[in-house]
Amino acid sequence: MRAVLARLGSAVLVVWITATVVFLALRATGDPLEAILGGPGSQAGPEAVARATQSYGLDQPFVVQYLAQLWRIATLQFGDSYARKQPVSELLAENVPPTVLLATLALLLAWVLAIAGLLIAATARGRFGGLVRSALSGIETVASVVPQFFLGAVLILVFANGLGWLPVTSSGSSPAGLVLPVVTLAVPIAGYLAHVLHGSLAEADAAPFAVTARSRGASEARVFFRHTLRHAALPGVALSGWAYGSLLSGAVVVEALFARPGLGRLLLEAATVRDVPVAIGVVTVIALLYVVVMLVSSLLEHVIDPRLAKAVVA
Amino acid sequence: MTRTFPPRPTLLYGIAMTSVAALAAVALSSCASDTNASEQADGGTLVYATGDAEPTCLDPHVGGNYPQALISTQYLEPLVGRSADGTIEPWLATEWKASDDGLTWDFTLQDKVTFTDGTPLDAEAVKANIEHLQDPDTQSSTGYLAVEKIKQVEPVDATHVRFHLSKPDSALLESLSQQWTAIQSPAGIARGMEKNCADPIGTGPFTVEKWTPQQQVTLVRNNDYKTSGPEADHKGAAHIERIDWRFIPDAATRYAALTSGEVQVIDNPQPDSIVAAEKDGSGIEHINAPRPGSTNRIELNSGQAPFDDIKVREAFIRAANPDPGIKSLYLKTATRSNSLLASTEPTSISDNTLFRANPKTAEKLLDEAGWTAKDKDGVRMKDGKRLTVRFPVSTNQSVAAEQSLFEQIQANAAAVGFEVILNPVDLSTWYGALGKNEYEAVSAPYTKVGPDVLRILYHSDGIVPAPSGYFANHAQLADPEIDTLLDEASATLDADKRTKLYADAQQRILESYTVLPLYDQQNHFLVKGATGVTTLGTVATPTFINTRLGS
Repeated sequence: MRAVLARLGSAVLVVWITATVVFLALRATGDPLEAILGGPGSQAGPEAVARATQSYGLDQPFVVQYLAQLWRIATLQFGDSYARKQPVSELLAENVPPTVLLATLALLLAWVLAIAGLLIAATARGRFGGLVRSALSGIETVASVVPQFFLGAVLILVFANGLGWLPVTSSGSSPAGLVLPVVTLAVPIAGYLAHVLHGSLAEADAAPFAVTARSRGASEARVFFRHTLRHAALPGVALSGWAYGSLLSGAVVVEALFARPGLGRLLLEAATVRDVPVAIGVVTVIALLYVVVMLVSSLLEHVIDPRLAKAVVA
Repeated sequence: MTRTFPPRPTLLYGIAMTSVAALAAVALSSCASDTNASEQADGGTLVYATGDAEPTCLDPHVGGNYPQALISTQYLEPLVGRSADGTIEPWLATEWKASDDGLTWDFTLQDKVTFTDGTPLDAEAVKANIEHLQDPDTQSSTGYLAVEKIKQVEPVDATHVRFHLSKPDSALLESLSQQWTAIQSPAGIARGMEKNCADPIGTGPFTVEKWTPQQQVTLVRNNDYKTSGPEADHKGAAHIERIDWRFIPDAATRYAALTSGEVQVIDNPQPDSIVAAEKDGSGIEHINAPRPGSTNRIELNSGQAPFDDIKVREAFIRAANPDPGIKSLYLKTATRSNSLLASTEPTSISDNTLFRANPKTAEKLLDEAGWTAKDKDGVRMKDGKRLTVRFPVSTNQSVAAEQSLFEQIQANAAAVGFEVILNPVDLSTWYGALGKNEYEAVSAPYTKVGPDVLRILYHSDGIVPAPSGYFANHAQLADPEIDTLLDEASATLDADKRTKLYADAQQRILESYTVLPLYDQQNHFLVKGATGVTTLGTVATPTFINTRLGS
C-alpha cells in the first residue's frame, strides 16, 4: 500500500514538473495568441486580438494563468485547443490509442526478436555456433544504433516500393499498415534489449542451477526456457519500462515518416504553433503512460522473481 | 542513453548501404515497367497527399493560409477567377462594373445557384460572407486584409450586389479571386466556428464528408455541381466520385506512396523526385505551377546598421552569388529570378544587371563604406564592430535545398568579410526574432494574387506591426517615393497606368538593394495514375474537376 502511494506521489510530481516546463518553454518563446489567430505571422486586426485575449483569459496575470492551467490538469480538463477549434480531450482520445498500440506492439516485437536471437545463439553448436554467435552480436550492435528515420526509409523502399508487399503509409490500425512502423520502432530496442539480456544470460548460464540441469541431460533449449531465461529476463523487464518511454519519443519520427496519426505528431504540431493546452495535454498523458508502464514492469519483476515479493519496494 | 559502438561500423554500413542501393535499383526498374494504358472510367477515389501543414480549420476565412487554400479549392469557390495570363474571368459573379470614382462596384451573380446545403447563392449570401471576413470573432488574417476597403455591402436584388468602398482599390478583383475570400453558405457560417471549421459548405465540385485530424479529409462529389470555373472543360459534376485528401509530412514517404500507386497526386516533391519524374517512361506527370505574389527572396533590414548603408547592402548582394547553388541544389527544377514578383504575374519586371555577382565590387563597396579593418577571422570591422548579419531561417518554410543555398550564400559573403549567422528555428521563434528586430537578413515568401502584394511588402505602412507583432515589410523600406507610387497604383482603375506605376515601383525597390531575388515560390505537383489535373490561375492550387483515374 505504502509503495503504491509512493508511486502515485512520484507520478503527480512528474506530471507537475513536465507541465510546468512545457508551459514555461512555450510561453517564453512565443505568443499563444498566434496559435489562436491562425498561426504565427497572423495579421488579424486589433479587435480580433482583443476578443481572443479576453476569451482565453490571456489578459490575466501570468501566475493566474499558470495556476488555472495546473487546475485544468488536476481535473483532467485540458480545455480547448488554441489552434484547432475543438476540445483537447477529443484530440487526445483520437491520438492516444494509435500511439499506445504502436509502442506496445513494438515493445512486444522487440522482446520476441531479442529472445529469438538469444535462443539461436544458445542452441547453435560447434564451430558453426561460434560464427552464428558473432554474426548475431554484430546484428545486435547495428540494430541498437541504426537511426530510425534511415531504417524506416529503407524498409519503405524494400517492402513497399520494391516488393510491393506492404503499404507505404498506414492510417490507423490496419494490420498490414502497422508492420513497417512497428518494425522500425522495435529494431533499435530489440538490439539494446538483446545486448542487456546477453550479459545476464551469460551469468545465469554459469550459475549452479544451469550446470546441474545440463548435467541431468536437459537440452539447451530446455535449459534456456526453464531456467536461464527467467533469471536473465529481470534486467530486461526493468529496462522495458525505460524503453517504453523511448518508444513514445521515437513515435514522433515514425509517425511523421509513415504518416500515422498519434501523440508524437500532435505534440510536434502543437509546439510549432505554441498551442499550449494541446502540448500540456500530450505531455501529461505521456507522463501518465510512463508511470503506468513503470508500475507494470515492477509488478512483472515480482511475478518473475518471487524473492522480490518479500523485499520492500523503494 | 548509453550505446555500444559497433566493432566495424564502416564495413557493416558499407554492406548495408550497398544492399540498399541494389534494392533501390530493383525497385525503380520495377516501377518503370508498368506504364501500360488502362481504360478510363468515371467514378473512383483519387488519393491526394499533401506535404503542407494540416489546416487547423477547413474554413479559409479563419486565419487564412496556403494549406487552407489548397483544400478549400475543392469545395468553395470565389466570386471571380483568373486565367493563366492574369485576366480576371467570371465565376460565381458573371459580370461586374466599377463607378468612375472607383468607390462603388456592382456585381451580377449567377442565377439559380444553391450551396450544397440548399441555401441560395444570392446578394444576401455575399453580404454575409464579407461581414464574416470582417467580423473580429472570425479571426481572419488574410481574407480580411483583402476586403479591407469594402465599407458596406448593399444587396440590390437577389442576383445584384453593390460594394461601397472607403477608398478606390485597383486590386479588388484580384483579392476576390483568392480562396481566402471564397463564398460559403451563410447557414453554414451561422452554425458557429467549431462546426464551420469542420465542414464549410460551398458551391464547389466536392463537399467535405469527414475530417479525421492527422490522417485525412474525405471529400465526395457534388452531383448537382453547376458553377464551372475557368479551368473546367465541361459543364456539370466532376468525373471522380471521391477524394481522400491525406496528410503525409515526409517528402520521401509521399513520393514512395506515389510510385507504389497508393496515392495519385502529391505536392511539394523534392527536386530529385521531380528529376526522376521528368525521365521518359516514369509514368509520372509533373505540374510546375509557381505560387503568385512575391518570389522567394532574401530581404536586408535597411532599418538598422549595417544594412542602413546602401553600399553595404549592395556589397552583400554582389557577394552572395546564388546562381551556382540554385543550379546544383535544385537540379534545374528552379530558375533564377531577378524580380520581386512571380514570373506568372504579367506586371512583374526583372533587372539582372543589379544582381550580377562580383566579389571585387563587393570588396570595393565595403572599403568605401568604411568597413576596412579585419579581425583575425577575416571578418570586416568598423568602429570596433564586426560586420555581422543575423539571418534567422524558418525550417517550416525553407525546404532543405533552400537551407543549403543559404549556407552557400553564407560562405560566399564570408569571402568578402561578412559574418553571416544562420539560425534555423521553428516558425514561432522565427516570427519572434523578426518582431524583436533581431535580424539583418531574412527570407519570407508572401502569396497573394496580383501586384498589390508590393504594397503589403514595401509600403512604409508595412513596418507598423499588426497586433500580433507581425509586420510584412521586412526590408523596412520607408521611401516616400515608393509609397506614392504604390498608393497611386492602388487607386487607379486604368490598367495601363497601373502597370506603369507598379513597374516604376519595382524598379525603385530593386535599386534600393534591399532585396536579393532567388526564384519563384516553388509549387510542384506530381501525378501518377490520373489525368486531367490542372491548377487555378489564382493561387495555383489544384482542381480535379476534369480529373479521371487511370493513365
